[in-house]
Amino acid sequence: MSIITRSPFLFRINTGSCNGCDVELATTAMIPRYDVERLGCRYTGSPKHADILLVTGPITARSKPYLLEVLDELPNPFVVVAVGTCPTSCGIFRDSYSIEGPLERYVKVDVNVPGCPPRPQAIIDGVAKALEIWKEKIRNQK
Amino acid sequence: MSGFLKIAIRNLLKGPVTDPYPFGKTFIPNKLRGKLKVDPKACTACGTCEEVCPSGAIHITKNENVYVHTTWYNTCCFCGNCEFFCPTGAIKLTNDFHTANTEEEKYRFTTVALISEIKCESCGEMFVPASEALLKRAYPNVNDTIRELTKLCPKCRRKKAFERLYQ
Repeated sequence: MSIITRSPFLFRINTGSCNGCDVELATTAMIPRYDVERLGCRYTGSPKHADILLVTGPITARSKPYLLEVLDELPNPFVVVAVGTCPTSCGIFRDSYSIEGPLERYVKVDVNVPGCPPRPQAIIDGVAKALEIWKEKIRNQK
Repeated sequence: MSGFLKIAIRNLLKGPVTDPYPFGKTFIPNKLRGKLKVDPKACTACGTCEEVCPSGAIHITKNENVYVHTTWYNTCCFCGNCEFFCPTGAIKLTNDFHTANTEEEKYRFTTVALISEIKCESCGEMFVPASEALLKRAYPNVNDTIRELTKLCPKCRRKKAFERLYQ
C-alpha cells in the first residue's frame, strides 16, 4: 500500500482553455525549475492510468463530451483538481451560451487552484493538496 | 538575448537550479498580481471596483452602518482593474499567490473589508465620509475648512458650503 501511495499518475485535459493554464502546467511539469515530479507524481497519456485529473478551461459545449468520456474512464479512487479560474467558477466566461461549466456540475471537485493563470507554485500547492486527499481516499477504500 | 546568455552562463557555472518551493522558500516578483488588499480607511464604498470587475468577484453590500467589501478569489481573474480604477487607491494587489484551496473552502476563500459610516455632526444621519486620499485627489491643497466639511453629510455639506459663499 505504501508503494501505491507514492506514485500517482497525473492526467491533464483542456476543456476550452485559452492555453494560459496549460503553459503554466507545462512549466510545472517539464522545466526543472518547478519540478512537480519531486512530489512523486508523473504525467500519463491515458486517463485509464490516471489518479489525479487536472482540468483547465471553462467546459465549452464542444469539449463537454470529451470531458465526460475521460471521467468515465478514470479508475477509482481519483482526485479532481480544477486548475485556473475557468473550471472553478467559469470566471469571466460565466453565463456565456457556449459554456457548460463549471466543472462541479459533472464531477465532485476536490481542489481548486484559482488564478488567471495560476502561478506554477500555486499549481504545485494544489497537486500537493490533491496528493493528501488521494492518500486519504485510498486509506478509506482499503 | 543578453538575458538568455546570462542565464546560460550562470547555469554552466552553478548548474540548473530547481525552485525548492513546497519544501522551502520561493522567489516572487514584486509586480505579481496576487490577492487583493483593501484599506478600509481609504475606501469610500463608491462601487467602482464592483462595476469594473470583469468576473464579478467583488461585491459591496450594506449591513447596519457598515459596508462589507467582499472579494471572492475563486472567480477573480487577477486582472488588476480594481486597483487601476480605484479613485482613492484603497485597493492594492499584493504578490501573495497562495490560491490553492479545497472544495470545502471554496465559498469561504474571500477577503473582507469593513467600511464603517460616521454620524453627521449637524443632523445625525449616517454616511461614509470622504477619505484623506480622495480629498488629496480632489483638491490641490487640503486645509482644515475642507476637512471640517467631510464631517457633514452631503445635504448639510451643501447647505454649509452655500452659506459660506454668501456670508
